[in-house]
Amino acid sequence: MYEHDILIIGAGLAGLRASVEGVKNGLDIAVVSKVHPIRSHSSAAQGGINAPLTDRGDDWEAHAYDTIKGSDFLADQDAVEIMSREAGEAVIELERMGVIFTRGEDGKLGTRAFGGQKIARTFFVGAITGSALLHVLFEQSLKLGLNVYEEWFVTKLIIENNVCRGVVAYDIKNGELHTIKAKAIIMASGGNGRVFEPSTQSLICTGDGLSLAYKAGAPLMDMEMVQYHPTTLARTGILLSEAARGEGAYLLNSNGERFMEKYAPDYMELASRDVVSRSEQTEIDEGRGIDGNVLLDLRHLGRDYIEKRLGYLQEVSLEFLGVDMAKEAVPVRPGMHYLMGGIKTDLNGLTEIPGLYAAGECANVSVHGANRLGANSLLDTVVFGRRSAEHAIEYIKSIGQNSKSENDLKLERKRLQSILDRPKGENIAKVREDMAVNMTKGIGVWRDQKSIENALENLKNIKNRLPNVSVEHKGKFFNTNLIFALELEFMVDNAEAIIHGAITRKESRGAHFRTDMPDRDDENWLKHTLVYHDVNHENNVRIETAPVTITKWEPEKRVY
Amino acid sequence: MKFAFYPGCVSRGACPELFDSTIAVCEKLGIELDYKSMESASCTGSGILQEKNLKLGDTLNARNFALAEKSGLPLLTICSTCQGVMSQANARLLADKEYLDEINQELKAEGLEYKGTVDPKHLLWVLVEDIGIDKLKSLIVKKLEGLKLAPFYGCYIVRPSSALKFQENPKRSNSLEEIIEAVGATVVDFPGKTQCCGFPILMINQKNAVNMVANHTSTAKNEGADAMVTPCPLCHLNLDAYQPEASKTKNEPINLPIIHLPQLLGLAMGIEPEKMKLNKHIISTKAMLSEIGVSP
Amino acid sequence: MGARKESILMNVNLKVKRFDPGDSEGKTWWQKYKIDIHEGSTVLDALIHVREYEDTSLALRCACRASICGSCGMKVNGNAKLVCKTRIVEVSPNGEQIIVEPMANHGVVKDLVVSLDTFFNQIKRVEPYIQADHVPEKGEYIATNESMENLLTAMNCIMCGCCVSDCTVLEVDDNFIGPAALTKAWRFVNDPRDSKRTDRLKDLNDEDGGIWDCTRCMQCVEVCPKGVAPMDRIMELRESTLTNGLTNAFGAKHANSVNKSIKHSGRIDEFRLPIESKGYFNIKGIFSLLIPGLRMLIKKQSPSPIHHKNPNQSKVKNIFKNFEENK
Repeated sequence: MYEHDILIIGAGLAGLRASVEGVKNGLDIAVVSKVHPIRSHSSAAQGGINAPLTDRGDDWEAHAYDTIKGSDFLADQDAVEIMSREAGEAVIELERMGVIFTRGEDGKLGTRAFGGQKIARTFFVGAITGSALLHVLFEQSLKLGLNVYEEWFVTKLIIENNVCRGVVAYDIKNGELHTIKAKAIIMASGGNGRVFEPSTQSLICTGDGLSLAYKAGAPLMDMEMVQYHPTTLARTGILLSEAARGEGAYLLNSNGERFMEKYAPDYMELASRDVVSRSEQTEIDEGRGIDGNVLLDLRHLGRDYIEKRLGYLQEVSLEFLGVDMAKEAVPVRPGMHYLMGGIKTDLNGLTEIPGLYAAGECANVSVHGANRLGANSLLDTVVFGRRSAEHAIEYIKSIGQNSKSENDLKLERKRLQSILDRPKGENIAKVREDMAVNMTKGIGVWRDQKSIENALENLKNIKNRLPNVSVEHKGKFFNTNLIFALELEFMVDNAEAIIHGAITRKESRGAHFRTDMPDRDDENWLKHTLVYHDVNHENNVRIETAPVTITKWEPEKRVY
Repeated sequence: MKFAFYPGCVSRGACPELFDSTIAVCEKLGIELDYKSMESASCTGSGILQEKNLKLGDTLNARNFALAEKSGLPLLTICSTCQGVMSQANARLLADKEYLDEINQELKAEGLEYKGTVDPKHLLWVLVEDIGIDKLKSLIVKKLEGLKLAPFYGCYIVRPSSALKFQENPKRSNSLEEIIEAVGATVVDFPGKTQCCGFPILMINQKNAVNMVANHTSTAKNEGADAMVTPCPLCHLNLDAYQPEASKTKNEPINLPIIHLPQLLGLAMGIEPEKMKLNKHIISTKAMLSEIGVSP
Repeated sequence: MGARKESILMNVNLKVKRFDPGDSEGKTWWQKYKIDIHEGSTVLDALIHVREYEDTSLALRCACRASICGSCGMKVNGNAKLVCKTRIVEVSPNGEQIIVEPMANHGVVKDLVVSLDTFFNQIKRVEPYIQADHVPEKGEYIATNESMENLLTAMNCIMCGCCVSDCTVLEVDDNFIGPAALTKAWRFVNDPRDSKRTDRLKDLNDEDGGIWDCTRCMQCVEVCPKGVAPMDRIMELRESTLTNGLTNAFGAKHANSVNKSIKHSGRIDEFRLPIESKGYFNIKGIFSLLIPGLRMLIKKQSPSPIHHKNPNQSKVKNIFKNFEENK
């Protein structure tokens, strides 16, 4: 059995930021991650990180307002205020840690424009901001000698007397199961993109932490809020950052028109992502697309500019689709990209389970509400990664020693063995694909009662198939076959929560656009949906709602 | 065919056998070598000068190119390292007009200017691209049947492939094998053929350099090679002159003779081994020569 | 992924190197797979297809599929590549068998999964984090965009391990810091905010297995999937150490000797070069040259101690002088 003061699940930006905070405060901190920290999905973020720098005449309230409007007024405004207020300090801190931000003419940090904001306050590193930030935080973790359980897969949370006290984890390299106990746990396990097909997210984004917390009794909030990014590369679905539009790229339909004029005459290509995705989908559905795509045109920016500011995008376009952005417009289409929803937390990252915190994409404070602005995700990870660590550091002062019980370990060992022992049955990849393709159909850019019900029906079918999914490879060493079976179960939980969130919310707001209920209904639905795993309810699901915290900004009509 | 001949430093210094065999072979191939145009050309820097000052290295190469341009003749090299360093310098000079202009300022005092038209070519490429394998075959008087040869390219003539224009000239990537087959010999493939011989670190870390020699020569030998052929005299120096040291690390003599590309051609064209100084190698070529029925 | 919807399929032949630590014999073996897959697919698409549908025991690492996470480095037909961006038609234009192996110079964990310990131990050796003595009172450091943009080349490194895999020095000497770590070091040496530039250069210069152990074979430049060109960074580090007056290493002496020789005669003086590289007073070093040197002199009668100048050498010498003055 291993013991620490604080255990962090996930070594992406939120996880590493939280760990660094803990180690700096002299605590015994450990991180458990199913991949090497540097392979975390944070590395795929491209565009930048928002921060209002007040010494340049920007105003945190302006950023807060843009974020809240972007969220279609579903974000909790006290949480947004915190994020906007702390953003400037967070970015400077990253720069001090060594991030090589692109600079302006005056040698200070440079900015670019980004979606949903009139002021350019997005700080960036070429088109590899996520990777740059992750690498620097990883360097800091090396400097501080952070303890990492590398390629260990968490299979269960340990709850003792209703308090979260640890995890059972499987060492992928040799198949050994272990108990790791701690006085507080911070869940920073990222998103669940693999529940959809296609998605811009990594193969590792299987919503593990969301399921673990859900199964332990924590509610998942606003899970129907799934972001479709407007510019994912045709055929492969790889992300092409909003930064392209931030730097001036146009979106064109098959007539060569900048169609955003019709839908968002003020912000044009830099309207909020849900608005742009829906606009694109409308163009495509009405026959003005090209093979199911629209065009992202950067030609007028010139080759030099593209290579300097958007180098990685050019690399992706050339390598994966053979399109030279300086010469041709790139075909793009909306693709599932991010989960605004997540494990409900308070302003300090604490979930409804004592001892369990959550930060980053898997958490929902809520700062992103019904739609996240670009470049707010990286900000969310470092601000709330730090906050949850700060609070956990205080919290554990009053927590006693870990118990010696390893009961969960014994149960998990049995469970995993029973999965391994199943006779040859269904193929994991096939079941996942069936589920994911149907999730995209049912909970897409557009949805309605019928599509959501179909998704629910399909999911029931998938759940029936789950016990027959078999693991053919029985080895102990690097048995990814077993891991995929466990991840499939996690993904099914995520799908369940998403579908129930979608059925529950009877309005359109932000990314949740119901063609059968196209208007926003503040009177009845200015609230969060909560999905609980509860065996005492039908389908093991209990639905509740929670109010949205309004501080300064009264909900208004959202026009771009 | 006439070329402005750039022999490089080593063929006139530590590997005179390369120089002599080149002259003899070019005569048979109908290649006229113009010595005068490049006689004041300097060393390319060999990649070592570039460590101290990259721009200085590019300037010296630009000067060499300007001399070739003046002669109006295409530029011929006989050393992988010369070829590679020149190709890399040329790629940098041609990619940035401002940079080329700055460098031409340095050449003004001598009345030279590099206009960007030179495309240096190694004899290996000239054989495969300009003369052609069919023509080469017609000049063979003695097929070297039964001779098993391991090709060793030398890093600088295979990487980086972009500066060496491999995409535009795909034959370059297996040119040495084609030559070996053209002269009737058998190619012995082995993993080290495009690896490093260790020469650049010979003076710095002899242990590593010698281990590289040991690995490549013994592997080739174990794969059945009678000899190894290389288009680079620096590789030749390491693989031949330091093979005794390499043998010590393997606790048994490797005894793999290393021959220069022109020596291979010369044997197939009936040139006497002594004329090509095949008796001047550290690792004896006697056994190899008797294998093909040539008296040393 | 993209492989599913499209209709034009092609036949792909894979030969994959397998290894299972659970196998008591500990031997590797080759396994062949034959699959049908969309013609635009990558080698990773093919391997994932095998893992999902043909052989669930095949172990490999992959995550982003977009050449940014660095997980999927492996050897394809003998050279390390990121398989998520290696199109099948690129490596097998006529349906030839594709040979896939784990990266070299790392230890193999299972099949195509290698240990990352070697790689990250190398990285740790160069103290890969900023060390700044002066922190601005408020706000960010002020630094020009030119000075920071330059560093982006190193920042493009995704730590995939391809350069380490194919490094010809690491093949014979596992003490070499390696191309990835040296690129990281370059990034800090050239970061205007870092205060330890001189110390870093000194360590890289003095350390066994430091910058002078690179053999300039360009494998890392050739295989790097992100255009980082580690060898070029190492060469720049060498230039920086020489400019900073660190001339004690054999490599530095070697470079200075070549410089001197070309300046003087236009060619490399092969007789003096080995001696000057070791140092005139380095008796032990010069002694090590004795046997091979004598062997060459006797057998080849070369290189000659007499070294003539090229015609028009004064012109070349002037170029050298201009560069020295302009420093």
